[in-house]
Amino acid sequence: MCGIIGYIGSRQAQPILLNCLGRLEYRGYDSCGIAVSEHGINVCKDAIRVEALKKTMPRLNGTAGIGHTRWATHGAPSLINAHPHLDCSGKIAVVHNGIITNYQKLRDQLTGEGHQFVSETDTEVIPHLIEKYYHGNLETAVAAALNDIEGSYAIIVLATDEPKLVAARKDSPIIISLGDRENFIASDVPAILDYSNRVVYLEDGDIGVITTDSIKVSRRGSEVATKVHQISWTVEDAQKAGYEHFMLKEIHEQPKVIRDTLAGWVSGEALEDLATMWADDINALLILACGTSYHAALIGKQMGQELLKIPVRAELASEFNYSTQLLDRTLAIAITQSGETADTLKAMKKLKEVGCQTLAITNVVGSTASRIADRTLYTRAGPEISVAATKSFTAQLMVLYQLMMAHPEIGARKLNSMTKELRQLPNKVQQVLDNEGETAQYAQELSRYENIFYIGRGINFPVALEGALKLKEISYIHGEGYAAGELKHGPFALLGSDTPVIALLAPDDTYEPMLTNIKEVKARGSAIIALTREGDEDIEKIADKVLTVPQVEAIFSPVVNTVALQLLAYYAARERDCPIDFPRNLAKSVTVE
Amino acid sequence: MKQAVILAAGEGQRLRPFTATKPKVMLTIAGKPILQYVVESLARRGIRNIVLVVGYRRQQIFDSVGSGEELGVEITYVTQEKQLGTAHALAQAKAKVDKEFLVLPGDNLIDADTIACLESLTPDAMLVKRVDNPLRYGVVTLAESAVKDITEKPKEAASNIVNTGIYAFTRKIFDFIESELDIPDVLNKMIAQGHQVRARETDSTWLDVAYPWDILSLNSIVLPRIPASLGGIIETGASLKGLVSVGKDTVIRSNCYISGPVVIGTGCEIGPNACILPATSIGNNVVISPFTEIKNSVIGNDVSLGPGCFIQDSVIDRGSIIEGQFTAFSRQAEVKIDDEHHSVSVGAMLGEDCQIGSGVVAQSGVVVGNHSQIQALKIISGRLPDRSLVI
Repeated sequence: MCGIIGYIGSRQAQPILLNCLGRLEYRGYDSCGIAVSEHGINVCKDAIRVEALKKTMPRLNGTAGIGHTRWATHGAPSLINAHPHLDCSGKIAVVHNGIITNYQKLRDQLTGEGHQFVSETDTEVIPHLIEKYYHGNLETAVAAALNDIEGSYAIIVLATDEPKLVAARKDSPIIISLGDRENFIASDVPAILDYSNRVVYLEDGDIGVITTDSIKVSRRGSEVATKVHQISWTVEDAQKAGYEHFMLKEIHEQPKVIRDTLAGWVSGEALEDLATMWADDINALLILACGTSYHAALIGKQMGQELLKIPVRAELASEFNYSTQLLDRTLAIAITQSGETADTLKAMKKLKEVGCQTLAITNVVGSTASRIADRTLYTRAGPEISVAATKSFTAQLMVLYQLMMAHPEIGARKLNSMTKELRQLPNKVQQVLDNEGETAQYAQELSRYENIFYIGRGINFPVALEGALKLKEISYIHGEGYAAGELKHGPFALLGSDTPVIALLAPDDTYEPMLTNIKEVKARGSAIIALTREGDEDIEKIADKVLTVPQVEAIFSPVVNTVALQLLAYYAARERDCPIDFPRNLAKSVTVE
Repeated sequence: MKQAVILAAGEGQRLRPFTATKPKVMLTIAGKPILQYVVESLARRGIRNIVLVVGYRRQQIFDSVGSGEELGVEITYVTQEKQLGTAHALAQAKAKVDKEFLVLPGDNLIDADTIACLESLTPDAMLVKRVDNPLRYGVVTLAESAVKDITEKPKEAASNIVNTGIYAFTRKIFDFIESELDIPDVLNKMIAQGHQVRARETDSTWLDVAYPWDILSLNSIVLPRIPASLGGIIETGASLKGLVSVGKDTVIRSNCYISGPVVIGTGCEIGPNACILPATSIGNNVVISPFTEIKNSVIGNDVSLGPGCFIQDSVIDRGSIIEGQFTAFSRQAEVKIDDEHHSVSVGAMLGEDCQIGSGVVAQSGVVVGNHSQIQALKIISGRLPDRSLVI
């Protein structure tokens, strides 16, 4: 997975490309490079971050260019494997995001025809294929080359002989953006928000051609009308605003995210809109997701079963794709922050084929997931830059709460009391944030350990998984989330004084069994850190340390508990000097299976 | 002058309970934090390079003004880890400032005109103002247009001219900041060593928030300047008069009577049959139930007011949940802050996240600490500390 950018206009391309690449780094950052065209194509690339490239690269003149920031799939991060890649003549340059599955065959074939390959990447076959088919029209040559290619791609092509950029996509995201006497192509919107907020989305199989003052999109050989979307985010949304890391900034945005999600709820508009998601004959739910979104799905499962009394399955999309059991009269909900998660998209397509109603919950307007699904609910989290998801998770929970509350079976009384609670959530979350100092102290102590267990039951079991995932991905401490009742079936062997256990409690019928589980753990010598509501006196006698969150109904406890665990992971990682916003080996949206 | 340093690190102890979780500059006046008014005034004067010295609870400032892009300015942050004084705070910004720069307090209400007064002066210079009660400020003695001496909070005032805390400096000031912690001490030293510090008197707006009830007076001064605007949904039969600003996604239900100046935030549910009188500000995500009357008050975000409440000259902070029939009326009252007694006309001062039962009566001048819980039908008075439980 990678980020790509293209520029053509009246200004120098180099600084613009580098700036946009900086904004794309969350998609991958093991190497980067740009190509600029002026009487020939000049390429500068290396296995370094964008900032470093900015400092070391020479000035390249030219007002058209392409750029790439890479996350390695085929071929290790290196100067040779970094994009852009060229054809034999050096007249065609290509940047690519995706995976070409038949590249070995194509490479052998092209080598046989005399083409010289320099890198180990799958991408390099593309410029050579275009070279092979080029007879004076770049667009036709790209179309012909793509005919031979199997796999997923978003590409941008630059050629010396034609003052234009050609873009195409299949299963990888790409957008075109319109400026004033300049145009852009990029993997996503935040990349170009510094320059323009007018965007055209490309569909799978589309080929887009941009020049300084025109854009054209073709589908299966004939030109189609383009629809320009106005983006309402500002560039500021994508900046750090005083915080040391995007992650902490995004953690702090959560009260606002909750308030924004609630907007429209009082007037009844949002409620009416959500109620239409529930068709009469739906008698089961299937929630699909990956990573953090999967934890939201698991919480959704608990919500659905408790509030709606219908069977709910939560599945990892990457696993679901290998199961054959499908259901009818089921509403399939796919949760994906980016709307581009490859596994989730594949599962959605599969479900649609068998006639399931599909509902996407995503943070990105116009993303692939929203275009596959029958209906889409957007989370109001705004762009999330930190690789570790925080506010998008909370926003997903908010949408799930509201979706469940809009079910006709819920009843006015329950709806009223839940609405009242929901309105208080922004303030409760703010209080968790206000307690940051104490949480940071706990984190400081935890940062000394190499293994930490997180345990919970019921609706807080997925929260334990999420807490552990946050810790793993940013602090590199091995965090393991476990169902509290399952510890005795094996993991007890791992407990001891060097493995603390974080226990999550909620005021529901899991509270008593949790106390029993905590005592069991304590007997094995592990220190217990309890995360519980204010005024919980029983736990103080048992736990070694108690971190409190404001009192909320058990069904909303995942929200406040998760925020506390996000802070805990953040400060543990900070104590260990980890690169919090860009953890090693991870990228923001996973567009490969 | 192209650059300004805003001092925003302080806590504001005398403003407790409202400053327990937020810095003083984040107190909300007419829907916006005080700091934002200062930044907006600077932007109006074309001063867009702003260094913010932050410290206490700085995350709230990051969350609110951020990079400054939304306000049309560029903000650089520097941190003062311990709040030792204004000169110490300014010294933290040393690496970030140009040859000449303005210094302003972030917790005062300052107009663009006020800033314009200072811009014409050659640094080093300060802005002074005549006030009625000089004893709580730094009293300035002038010789012509030069400062002779600044005396902080004197027992007896030599004049009624006081320091506004708004200065124009050159980098030379840093040479004089040694052990001195506050800017007036540094200036006194400069003057003693023969340097000239110019002064100019302003009659434009400069207002300080020193005590909780100052929030109300500032609110009533600022509200009439906020233009009317209607977002959200106004149901038929609701009556809006004067300057009323309603945020998006807010619903004003039938038969509400709202008389401006009033500012209502986003996502609120007001009424039916609620009465909101001048000069009142209401935050975001607030619920005001039927038959409640609010007059000259400031209501924070996420507050819920039950039916039949009467609230006058009161401040209710973020997230408090108040059941029906709560009464807070305003009479002349003695309020004690740090062993000082003040006689003011004020209703109730309620901290954040309080839970107030039905039928509670708040005596004039009551100050309720954050996270307090008051059971139904209680009469409360005096000063209740944080997390009080009245049963």
